Amino acid sequence: MQPYELSLAAAAREIRERRLSPVELVDSVLDRIEQVEPHVAAYVAVSAEQARRTAREAERDAARGSCRGPLHGIPVGLKDLIDVAGEPTTASSRTRAGHRAASDSTVVARLRAAGAILIGKTHTHEFAYGLTTPQTSNAWDQGRVAGGSSGGSAVAVATGAATFALGTDTGGSIRVPATLNGVVGLKPTYGLVPRHGVTSLSWSLDHVGPITRTVDDAALVLTAIAGHDPRDPASVAAPGADYRPRRDPDLTGVRVGVPRTYYFEHVDADVEAAVRRAVAQLEALGARLVEIDIPMARYVQATQWGLMVPEATAYHESTLRTVPELYQADVRILLEAGELMGAGDYLRAQRARTLMRDAWARVLKDVDVIAAPAVPMGAVPSGRETVTWPDGTVESVSDAYVRLSSPANITGVPALSVPVGHDAAGMPIGMQVLGRPFAERTLLLVGHAYERTQPARSLAPSPENAGTR
Amino acid sequence: MSSAALTPPEAARWAARAGLPLPDERHCAVAVTADHIHSVVAVLRELDFGDTPPAGAFRAEEEQRDAAV
Repeated sequence: MQPYELSLAAAAREIRERRLSPVELVDSVLDRIEQVEPHVAAYVAVSAEQARRTAREAERDAARGSCRGPLHGIPVGLKDLIDVAGEPTTASSRTRAGHRAASDSTVVARLRAAGAILIGKTHTHEFAYGLTTPQTSNAWDQGRVAGGSSGGSAVAVATGAATFALGTDTGGSIRVPATLNGVVGLKPTYGLVPRHGVTSLSWSLDHVGPITRTVDDAALVLTAIAGHDPRDPASVAAPGADYRPRRDPDLTGVRVGVPRTYYFEHVDADVEAAVRRAVAQLEALGARLVEIDIPMARYVQATQWGLMVPEATAYHESTLRTVPELYQADVRILLEAGELMGAGDYLRAQRARTLMRDAWARVLKDVDVIAAPAVPMGAVPSGRETVTWPDGTVESVSDAYVRLSSPANITGVPALSVPVGHDAAGMPIGMQVLGRPFAERTLLLVGHAYERTQPARSLAPSPENAGTR
Repeated sequence: MSSAALTPPEAARWAARAGLPLPDERHCAVAVTADHIHSVVAVLRELDFGDTPPAGAFRAEEEQRDAAV
């Protein structure tokens, strides 16, 4: 096994026990980037020399017995909405030409303090306003979409081009690409991870979180980046916590809600079968399954759009007037049309959000977590615009990818996506585990318990061999 | 499109009132997209909100801006 293939937890163990140096790990990941990048284009920019320099410092510290914790010497890819002092935050947009971040975002400062090594900035769908990340190819099939908007981050982790990554999630942008590339994604509770220094798509829906190879890895990253920062007005003063799940978790007594409505409607048959198998596995681990109904399902898309569309347009107000031609066509038209939404629609969405949060809280009194598909279908071929369901319903690919993710953005509840199989085309499938606000430990426990029953997950097939399916 | 659909000139006028003058060639596409967005969010008019307040948060006290990491 090469160092780039190690999970975060495994690499941390090797570094701590002095069997692997941060320099070896960083060199291995940089070599891997050179190998896969021509095929998948996950990165906007790679900071090879800086990463090697930081790795040498981390190696010296480790040799002196000074290890900052499990992220010490671990290479991380950052979605290019996240500020790193002195570097451009491009948002994968031509409108950001010449940008230079004045200071580190909170999450980057915390990752640096924890000893992580910034290896590069990863592609996003322009300004996170989309679900495919067209610049980047899927890790499993270069003819299919990476998912988005954190497509570069997910593909980097899935191919071994980063040991872990950070993404952002406004309507599924961590969980969708994580699922489509067969890795783990965590959208934390709204307010748990500060967004200071992270380019916004929609202030009231944006979250920052980890994309990793395992649930255990996601817990390690969350422990490093969670915690109050008043510079993000949504940040909550929650006490620091160690989110890492117990090694041999027992799910006895855990009540798992299985939706009768919404989450299994208009879902690919392979996805439904794989998720139901995973839910049965949770039951075999001692969990009690409870059928639930999803409240206010009819209003999910309306609420998501009613919040996101005007907030995104407001964020881009200035550049939409000065350099509109620099936006990609799909993003420009949404920003322009957003100018026509009235305050009444926005306030109705905000009031619907209050109702939805309260209704979900009532459901989550009766169950500890909800287990459901993360995404209705696997990665589609690049360029496909719509999906037709067996009842004849036609849905846009973007709407389908957002549909099962956005309830957690609207309500703010935490949501974890975990790979649970592959569809007939060999594309990864994910299960989503949702829970009460700030119950990340329960989500991670359930996800980790499931993962422990499965064979160790391997990286996506090497792109130079995989081609297109 | 419903009878209440925006015409391209209406879309242009609304955008101009919002402070965004649109070039002629954008009027049609913006009208169609704005109509689609409207059709999605209009569903919320079915809800009886009663006294439900909006979800936006506001604190009277200014946040401390010099937080340590």
